[in-house]
Amino acid sequence: MILALIEHSGGHAGNRITSNTNELLSFAQRIGRDSGIPVAAVVFGFNTSGLVEELKSRKLDRIIAVDDPELAEYSPDAYAFALKSLASAEPPYLVATMHSARGIDFMPRVAASLRHPFVGGCIDVERIGERLLLTRQIFNAKMNMKVEPRSGSPVFVTVSSGAFPGDNVELAETSAIETRPVDFSGLMKRRNVIAYSEAAKGQVDLSSAPIIVSGGRGLRQKENFTLIFDLAKALNAAVGASRPVVDAEWLPREYQIGSSGQTVAPKLYVAVGISGAVQHLVGIQGARCIVAINKDADAPIFKVARYGIVDDLFKVVPALTKLLNDLKSV
Amino acid sequence: MKIITCIRPVPDPASRLVINESKTWIKDHDLSMVANEADNYALEEALRLKEKHGGEVIAISLGRASDAKLLRAAVAMGADRAIHLVDDKFRNTDEFAVADALAKAIHLDGGADVVLTGVQSDDLGSGATGVMLAELLGWAHATVVIAVDAEPEKGTLTVKRELEGGMAETAELPTPAVLTIQYGINQPRYASLKGIMAAKRKEFKVWNAAEIGWTDSDGSGRLTEIREIHIPEKKSQVEIISGTPEEAVTTLVEKLRKDAKVI
Repeated sequence: MILALIEHSGGHAGNRITSNTNELLSFAQRIGRDSGIPVAAVVFGFNTSGLVEELKSRKLDRIIAVDDPELAEYSPDAYAFALKSLASAEPPYLVATMHSARGIDFMPRVAASLRHPFVGGCIDVERIGERLLLTRQIFNAKMNMKVEPRSGSPVFVTVSSGAFPGDNVELAETSAIETRPVDFSGLMKRRNVIAYSEAAKGQVDLSSAPIIVSGGRGLRQKENFTLIFDLAKALNAAVGASRPVVDAEWLPREYQIGSSGQTVAPKLYVAVGISGAVQHLVGIQGARCIVAINKDADAPIFKVARYGIVDDLFKVVPALTKLLNDLKSV
Repeated sequence: MKIITCIRPVPDPASRLVINESKTWIKDHDLSMVANEADNYALEEALRLKEKHGGEVIAISLGRASDAKLLRAAVAMGADRAIHLVDDKFRNTDEFAVADALAKAIHLDGGADVVLTGVQSDDLGSGATGVMLAELLGWAHATVVIAVDAEPEKGTLTVKRELEGGMAETAELPTPAVLTIQYGINQPRYASLKGIMAAKRKEFKVWNAAEIGWTDSDGSGRLTEIREIHIPEKKSQVEIISGTPEEAVTTLVEKLRKDAKVI
């Protein structure tokens, strides 16, 4: 069995599966197709029926729910405990979850505990005969590395956001639903959440924004960022920034996109006055369509962009905003 | 508090990386190594914890003998002593093997109250080593930490963790614990001249694989095998749209609507 442990917002923001679930399932379905091994979506939580209902429309061989008050809130101890229990009852071929703040918090623990291979941030997968090769990025995405698990199943994998488009998920009615009891009597919850808060007030969730307009050093000064906000408004987009903008304190840190900021995967990313340092490109590689507006034709951002305008942003951006607003009012 | 902070040597970001003949790693013999960026924040946080609560800070690193300079720099910044794990067997270790070696060395040094690592490394970058280290030590852990508060007399830590979507979580955990420290949690200090002079008198232990009881043959070595390293093909398919700004944006919007179908 291939187990895809889905994420949900449980507890503090209503009980919905997260928007990257289709990415995780499309990864799992792909290995399932290549190997003929059945795929199960796994839900950890409490009162999971709504989540199971949401998952039913995806093509799966099984939906496994572990429904227990111990799993009402995410806890690395409880998640690791439940996953170890599942993995030992019926050893799966592979266990996957997203390479998220949550995924990276508990998956390596389970893998290390069982002394089984862990591959973090997977972006590609291939089966050669019985062999499984997983590709991941290294050196801040300058290189890719193909690794093969050395010991037997299961191998534990976290899947990089943006690598397996959610649109590719296969849909079909899934009827095999199973609730697995887990005996939590030996569980020690060491880390306990006291409170949730907004890391920075008023911040847009860039990780799930469908359109992002992002500004860089090319804007020259803080005041000029109004151009970015105006364009974002015309596109109903979120606003992001490159590191120099944040370091210069034109915008607060939470707007920063890149290896030391947020990773984003919008369908449209408009990079304005951003040269495209590798640290920035790492953060936007999940973007489906990148538009670059920059005076410098050699800027690395054009290497990853689909459309480019090589011109003065102070002329191009207002023209683009005006056009979009005109089209809206028609 | 006894605080151990981990430092991973990584290639200087300014250096050109070349893949080796067997395509299993980069040619790193002559590369100048620097401390992994995120680990600098972990070291600074370790020094601040000591300044607040007393105790000692030990910097630990696994790497080549020539990387000792990174530990000397950490000691010059204020760490009390250093442990360097050096062995040919440690070459090309994966996250598990590194975590296993660190766990064994920390155990040999008598444990700790807190172990800090950077949130991820600039080479492998999976963010897994610290979490695995916690598991192998049998300790609690917290990842992507953006604030730390300790209550040594209670034996607890209160941490703030960064989540997705601009959310953060405040959590309490018992010591001993491993924390992986997020970029930007603090402003790392520079070594003072006094610190550099004092560093020469501080303890510097070097341990090999046998001394810490780490062996590659009993299953404590790597669990994944590198099959190939390659530079991803960057298919530059950019379509440069020309014309006056007004013409260019008209064409652009048309293409975004009809071809890319993203607006």
